[in-house]
Parts: sequence; structure tokens; C-alpha cells
Amino acid sequence: MNSLFQPAMPGKKNRKRRHQMLFDDGDHTVCGSITSLDSLRSHLQTAIEIEHATIPPYLCALYSIKEGTNPFAYANIQSVVMEEMLHMLLAANILNAIGGQPAINQPDFIPEYPTYLPHSDDAFLVPLGKFSKDSINVFLDIEQPAAKCAPPQADNWHTIGQFYDAIKHALRHFDHITPGGIFTGNPDHQLTENDYYGGGGKLVKVVQLSDALLGINEIIGQGEGRNGTILDTDHSLFGEEIDYAHYFKFNEILLEKEYRPTDKPQDSPSGPSVKVEWDEVWNMQLNPKMADYPEDSQLYQKTLGFNQTYMALLDSIHNACNGNPRELDQSIPLMYDLKYKALELMRTPIGDGVMAGPSFEYVESRG
Amino acid sequence: MKKKKYDVVVVGSGIAGAVLAKVLTQAGKDVLLMEAGLQAGMAFKPEEDYANYQSYLNQFYESTIKATNTPYPDITDAPSIGVLEIEAKTPYDTGYLVQLGPLPFASDCLRGPGGTTLHWLGNVPRMLPNDFQMKSRYGHGVDWPICYEDLVPYYEMAENEIGVAGDVASQQGPDMSRDNYGADYVFPMEEIPQSYQDQVWMKNSNGLEVNLYGQTYTINCISMPQGRNSNPNNDYRIDGTKWDKHDQKLKLTYTDENYEVIGSNWAAYTGERCEGNASCVPICPIQAKYNALKTLKKAKRKHLEIITQSVASTLMINEESGKISGVVYKKYKEAASKEYTTSVARGKIYVLACSAIENAKILLASNAANSSDQVGRNLMDHQVFLTWGLLPEKVYPYRGPGCTTYIPTFRDGEFRKDFAAWISPIDNWGWSWPTFAPGSDVTNAVITNGLFGKALRDHINDVVPRQALLHFECEQPPCPNNRVTIDPKYKDQLDNFRPVIQYNSSDYMRKSFEAAKKVSDQIFAANGIEDFSAYSPTEADYVTWQGRGYTFRGAGHIVGTHRMGSDPATSVVDTNQRTWDHKNLYLAGCGNMPTLGTSNPTLTMTALTFQAAEAILQQLNR
Repeated sequence: MNSLFQPAMPGKKNRKRRHQMLFDDGDHTVCGSITSLDSLRSHLQTAIEIEHATIPPYLCALYSIKEGTNPFAYANIQSVVMEEMLHMLLAANILNAIGGQPAINQPDFIPEYPTYLPHSDDAFLVPLGKFSKDSINVFLDIEQPAAKCAPPQADNWHTIGQFYDAIKHALRHFDHITPGGIFTGNPDHQLTENDYYGGGGKLVKVVQLSDALLGINEIIGQGEGRNGTILDTDHSLFGEEIDYAHYFKFNEILLEKEYRPTDKPQDSPSGPSVKVEWDEVWNMQLNPKMADYPEDSQLYQKTLGFNQTYMALLDSIHNACNGNPRELDQSIPLMYDLKYKALELMRTPIGDGVMAGPSFEYVESRG
Repeated sequence: MKKKKYDVVVVGSGIAGAVLAKVLTQAGKDVLLMEAGLQAGMAFKPEEDYANYQSYLNQFYESTIKATNTPYPDITDAPSIGVLEIEAKTPYDTGYLVQLGPLPFASDCLRGPGGTTLHWLGNVPRMLPNDFQMKSRYGHGVDWPICYEDLVPYYEMAENEIGVAGDVASQQGPDMSRDNYGADYVFPMEEIPQSYQDQVWMKNSNGLEVNLYGQTYTINCISMPQGRNSNPNNDYRIDGTKWDKHDQKLKLTYTDENYEVIGSNWAAYTGERCEGNASCVPICPIQAKYNALKTLKKAKRKHLEIITQSVASTLMINEESGKISGVVYKKYKEAASKEYTTSVARGKIYVLACSAIENAKILLASNAANSSDQVGRNLMDHQVFLTWGLLPEKVYPYRGPGCTTYIPTFRDGEFRKDFAAWISPIDNWGWSWPTFAPGSDVTNAVITNGLFGKALRDHINDVVPRQALLHFECEQPPCPNNRVTIDPKYKDQLDNFRPVIQYNSSDYMRKSFEAAKKVSDQIFAANGIEDFSAYSPTEADYVTWQGRGYTFRGAGHIVGTHRMGSDPATSVVDTNQRTWDHKNLYLAGCGNMPTLGTSNPTLTMTALTFQAAEAILQQLNR
């Protein structure tokens, strides 16, 4: 099992190697509350929603960092966001592979912040807020590694790893008991690494059980750095391309110290200090809402404009996951647009030294 | 890895130096890489790398005039050529180059980690087979001592290294077809989508017949292969280049996996695809465009020692053996400091890879490799003739990279006996090159036309999106009088020589400007483009031909100066790119090219560098 996170030979390319290795999942048959193929599909829809739910808070923290400051924190958070988007698409691929239809631009798709993570045990609320120690602490909660003996848990889960364990078991179970298997989805609906790129991961095309398990292992590995290491992947020649799992990337920021590849998860980072300028941040208001402003105000219009761009982005991802993979290309300019609109809001004072911010709310219109 | 004596000492960390460092260290050889530019640019720690690159970007964004070297530090200890310093009247010595004329040399390169690949555009068409036989086919220049077929495997190595995005099937034109590449060959990545502007041009230009001096030529517009990230091509199976000890050859290796796209140097998840920022020259903000530091990062670190802020000055020559015994270099403490220490780097083999101009300068300063008297001579560039006008409809330039389409029609033909061939990229940068648009559009509208407010916005919105630029990169043949020399009168603050340049444009070139204008007129007419091209005697590199005036510009393709040949009497290096005069001195870079062809030279130069690396490994193992 440890082989998943062993450093590859120098010169080997990390993302290729990672996908040659699978977790040994043992012989569980427990599926918990996943009792049918339909239920499995709806849990995979939930998986998409969980992955998505983390993105707006991460983006708020990222965009609130003042330009040119906090390069370490910025890079770490940005890499996590890229991988969350990857996870969302991986979950969509798995859902497509078992004949489901990812729903990404529906009214209830975006949670109302502050929110509990979908179907979790409601242990903590996730707000939209600026880059701060508080927000990093929440991010650590989100990415917390599963305890060694934590059982798979399809609902009321404590860690995302438990949730995905339950999904893995259900995938195995239903694929096993269903004549012809459950991987009957249209392969043309699969997004591939040519459609999405970024982060240390690879968008796995899912046409069979092993692909799906590979994809889930990637999600868990990148998030929590399972198997008792902090590494998410190997490192290459110059030693700098080591990639840590999300939890540890956030911990580096909080503790203002880098990990070394040999550090253990329970240890504090033992590497060099990192400069984190907690004050070099736009003082974004917590959980902004369009309703905070009069409808005829510029701030309302700007917030609405942001949300319209966000909806357009979700539209393009939705379409890409429902038969038009190439539409994902359209999302790149939208992502930039989203960033510029968020930055504009964060530079707009609303009184008492507080700034406006992106609200990530569902709107019908697309501008 | 500090050693007294290395297997190979390489001067320059541009693409040639980086390829050498990578190939040689991966084959287990100890390499000292010497770079004149600042240490900060050589950062391999992602954060430092990021911070340094952001400083380049900030300098670019904050400068009002944006030239090729604007983002990068211009260090007085190792100055770079500034294209903005160019003056119409020669001689002058106000910049780094001492320009004796009669015309000023208009191209620059970048002295710093990664070299000119930091600001290059990234167009990488291959040369054509006929380009290698200019003398025997067309009576101009010289023939190369090798032919196109000899270079094909090395082209494949170079295309793998740079990571070329392009469509092989569409590379059709005079002397260019599927045969140039081989039946199954594809580029590592799919073509960069041709811009909307290109689609509009193509509507009226593809298949257009133009008449030139009584001959008819058919225009076609094809996608430009380029060193910039796109989707991996699912059919590309080459993995990389590896030294085969047994066969003593560099060989391509193959894989079942797709080409792995190399993002930015600071973070793998930045720059994995071109985002169309359109500032490729002078700087890609996300490093989706290839630069040599990506190659350098793949070198085997334990076999590589890099020293920066170290300016190679001269070569030491053992009088008995004629071999090089050291590189004398001056290490300065910090940017602009006049303090330096002089040291000697020693290796079994030496390679100068620091641009055609600097290589020639060092050789001349050392009285090395020059028994043919060819060092510094045959300085070449593509002399770029531009035409510009307004399209009848908006085409929205600045969307996508600098160039996604080119016209290959005049790259080869019998006319090469008479005037220079050219490649015609369709530029995506409006009139920025000839007129400094869009800034100058605003200035003119405000100052000349007195516009402001909505009228100003409407005017800019009407004009800038319709700006069309056509671009003719005309092949300059070698001429012994176009040359780099040195003169003790002209030195920099480290007491190194400054290049003294003599340069001109021959009738062969001037006639090609006339021809290009005639072709441009017909393409403009077919596209309904209103011609705004204007050439003034007050401009640098304004020349006349048959009573009409033309201005050419530099392409940044500095070539020649230490050419390869089969005869030691007329060339500086042999086909292995080893100097005829010194058995342990190789030269790398565009200086080796006997003629220029019509392609941007970096790809060919990189292919040649793989060949040189192979020869060096063979010599070391002998």
C-alpha cells in the first residue's frame, strides 16, 4: 500500500507513475446507506457538490491575498483549487460512467454560505471569507485525513475520505452484482486529460471499475495524503516539485513552516520558515450576499455581475460534463473574468474598513 | 558539485546551453554551465522563481514602451542589445552595439538565464530541403555541408524538447509536404487554434492568385507550428532523447503515454495550455510558451554546476597542442557593480553557446578558431518588411498568441535566384510593431484629432479591432562584410569588448521588399484592406529600390558569424560544430548556420545542438 506515495525514480514523471498504482482496498462489502444504483448515482452527484462546495471558500481566500504578497500561501492555495476542480470533474466522470447525468448549474447546486459540507456530520461550518488563520483552520477541517480505523460512511461522514470509501465499496458491490456491470455510460461523455489539466493530477477517463477506483484514490490522496505520509506525489530531479496533500499544504501556511518530504503527518513541519503576511489581505466581508445591498446600487450590480459570470462558468462545466467536453475550453476566459470581478469587489470599501466580496449565489440570468 | 576540471564547460544558458547541459549530464558527464546574467534568473526553487518572474512581469507592465528586452534586467556588467536604441544615422555607439553601418543592425538577444527564449515568439517551422542548397540551386550564399535529411532525427529531438504544437498535415507549400516529416510523424501537441482574425484573412486569401513579375503564385494560409502548450496529440509516442552508450548515438525513446505538457517553472499547474494572453513577446505571463529554463530543470543536478554573473571573456589556448585550456571569465558581485574577480574555468571540452554575436566576440578577443578569417562575418537576420492597414470588419487582434497562421507561398521557388525568399506570418498584434499601437492611436486621437470621452472610446473601438498587419521575413544571404568585429576603443565596464557591427541590405534584399509590397497590395485588395503602410527616410533601416523607399526591421534572428562548412578555409566549424582549429572547442547556436532559410532559426539551431551534444559525447568517450 505504501507504494502509492513512494518517490518515483528520478526522471520518471509523477502523474504517470501514480496511476500505475492502486490501493488495496481489502474485502469490504459494506455500502452503508448506498442501497441501489440510483442511490450510488445520487451519492456521486453529492461528491460533485462536495468538491464544488470547497472551491468558493478557497477562491475567496486566494483572491483576498494582495497582489505580489504571500507567494507561498498563494501558490499552495491555488494548487489546491486546481485539484478541487479536478476532483469535481473526476467525480463527474465516474457518475457519467455509470449512466448518471451530472447536474452542475441547478439552483441548489451552490450551497448557501456559511454551509456544512453536503451530507457531512455537520461538524463545522464553511464560510466565505478572506485569507486568515480562521479560514485556514476551516480548510484544515475540510481536508482532515481520516483516522486509520474510520469506517466508510456514505452519509453523516466526518472526513471526505470516509465518504469516498463508501462510494468505492458501493461501486465494487454494484458492479459485481449487476449482470454486465454498471459501467455502461456513454464514453463520449468522459472528460480526459486533454480537456482539463493542472495540478499534480490527471483526469482519468472512466470506463471500468478500476478507472473509477483510480480516480477516487487520486481524490483522497491529493486531499488527505493517505497512507500515513504527507506526500501527494513523487518529486522530481531538483527536489522542489514535491507535492503535499491539501491538508499539509494548508498546515504549512498556518504554521508558517515548510514540510520536508520525510516528515510524518503527526509531526510539525521541520523545513525552512515561510513568510506569511496575514495583514497583506483585502479585508473582505464575511459571507457577502447580494441582499446586503439595495438593488439599484452599484455594489448590487457588481455582485450580480460576478454571480452571472459564475453561473456562466457552471454552465460551461455542466455542458462539458454532459456530452460536450470541448466546452471546457470556454471556461478558461470565464475563470479569468471571475477573478477580475472578484478582485474588483474586494477593492471596494463598504465601511468600517471592510471590503465587499464575491457572494457565489445562484442567479437565473447570465448577464 | 564543485570541481577543478569538468568534462565540459558550456558558456551560456540559452536554449543551446540548456540542451547541452541536459543531454550531457543525463549521459553522466560533469558540466559547468556559465551564465553572464543575474543569479536571480536562475532560481530553481519555485517561490524564488515565481518572485523573480513576477518582477519581470511587473517591469513589463509598468513600462510605457514595451520592447523585446523590456521585462528583463539590463545589466551594465553584461549588457544586452536594446532595440529602442537604434538610430537612423550611422555610425554611432550610443548603445551596447557600436554601429558602423552603413545600416544599423536591428535585432537583439537577451543575456540572462534562459537566454532569448524568454522573449522569443516561439514560431518553429522547420527549414526546407532547398534551404540547405542555396548556392547550387539558386546561386546565392553557400550550400550547407549537411542536407535536410541528415537533420530530420535531430529536428524530432528538438520538437520534443521544445514541445511543439502544430499540425503536420497542414504543412503544405513549396518544397514542403508530408514527405518532409515522414508518413506517421505528428507534433507532440495539437495545433494552437487559428485565431478569429486568421479565419477572416483566410476567407479571402486562401487560394488567391497573385501576380509577381509575370509569374502567378497561389497564396495559402496554414497553421504555424509553435513552442507553446496545447492539448497533447494522442498519436505522439516519442518520450525523449537518450544517449545510447552502446551505439554511441543519441536516440529517441518511445512511450505508450501521451506527451507530458510542461507548465511553468514555478508551478506545474500554471501554463499547461496557452491562454492567449498575447504578450508572448516579450513575456508569457504563465510560461505556456517554452523557455530554455524548462530544459535546464531536467538536467541531472548532481552532474551540473551552474555559475551566474560570470561573463566569459576570452579562451586560453595551449600553443603547442592548439587545444583550449580554459575560459577566462569575470564574475561580478551584483548588478551594476564594477567590482569583479577574474577566474579560469577548465574542462576537457569547451562550448561557446552565448549567441552569434557574443560567440564571435569571444573568439575574436581570443584570436581563436579564426584561421579562415570567417569569425564574425556573414552576420544575417531576416530583414522584416511590414505592411499594415485597416480591415473592413473587426477582427479583434490580441486574441491568442502572436501568430497562429502563416503564408508559405514565397518560402521557395525559382525567384530565389533573383530576390530573397520570405515567410509571411499573419500577425495578431494590430499595428503595435510599426506604429506602437494601440497607445499611439490614443495619443493621436487626443492630440491630433482632439477627441475625448465617448467619441474617443468609439474611435478606438472602431479602429484598433480592425488593425491588420502582414509581415514578410526576408532571407538575408551571407555576406562577408556584414560582420561583428572588436576594437579596443570600445569596451564595457568589465573591460570586455563591445560588439562593433557593420551591416547592410543588398539589392537582393531590396528587390524582395519591392516584391513583397506587390504581393501585399494584392492580398490587401482581396481582403478589402485599406493600406496605411508608410516608410520614411527618417526611420532606421530605410532603404530605396527603383526609386521607392522601404523600411525593414530586425527579426531577432541573429545568425551566421561562425559558420559550419566542409572546408576549413571558408568555415569556422565542421559538421559536428567543432572548430576546425581547436579539437576541444565546439560552438553552438545560430552562429553555425551557413544560411538562414525562411524559418525562425531556433528550431534548426536546437536540432544542430542535439547533434553537437552527440558529437561531444562521442569525443569524450573516445
